[in-house]
Amino acid sequence: MYRGREGQWAFYLHRISGLGILVFLMLHVANIASAMWGPEVSNALMKFYHQPVFQIGLLLLIAGVLYHGFNGLRIILMDFTAWGVRYQRQLWYGVWVLFVIFYLPFLLKIGGGILGGSHGD
Amino acid sequence: MAIKSKRYEEARLEASTNLELYWWVFMRISGVVLVFLLIGHMWMNAVITDLNSIDYEYVAKRLSQTTWKIYDLLILALGLLHGANGLRYVLDDWIRNPSRRFWTKVVLYSLIAFLFFLGSLSLLNHDFGVN
Repeated sequence: MYRGREGQWAFYLHRISGLGILVFLMLHVANIASAMWGPEVSNALMKFYHQPVFQIGLLLLIAGVLYHGFNGLRIILMDFTAWGVRYQRQLWYGVWVLFVIFYLPFLLKIGGGILGGSHGD
Repeated sequence: MAIKSKRYEEARLEASTNLELYWWVFMRISGVVLVFLLIGHMWMNAVITDLNSIDYEYVAKRLSQTTWKIYDLLILALGLLHGANGLRYVLDDWIRNPSRRFWTKVVLYSLIAFLFFLGSLSLLNHDFGVN
């Protein structure tokens, strides 16, 4: 067990983001599957999800996916290399560097959309 | 899963099959694959595309192509399995009462199985009518 500090945060964030992604995935599948009931039903649902509140949720979700993914790679390195556990803290900071690099385009594009009011009324 | 064993020999005695090992391997393999699939998926639909322009027609155009059907089916299957097993770890940790844990699992696994059914139906069985 990690005794506090970075390792403990890495673990808790991994759990919370994992649970959050699973909840989103269920809503997302239901939303896309609504296409089976035709364009009217499907478009109404999509319009509903284009509201700014849900776009902020989406930004949170994307953050969760990127963190969970990169921290997952950190876990794999810790499992399969001789040095991974020794450098787990440094690896965690590496996770955040990757996170920032990959998150910026999403933040600018979706965040800009929210601020610019370009959500399909 | 309350881990009581401290040493390898004790773990061997506690486990009757290698199932946990297989899940452990699956989590790592599916995890690596999902990192690439999901970054691609999010990039295509939220960075290259204006999110707000996504409607039935956009989805129909994408999902009338076999490539994206397979791509999305992979995400659906790997994502739900990875998520279901991850959820199992969390429930085993956080719900102490055995009968409550059991019934929570029954409900949530059923929900996940239903969503896999629903998702694969819409990917494989629905005619989006775009050529």
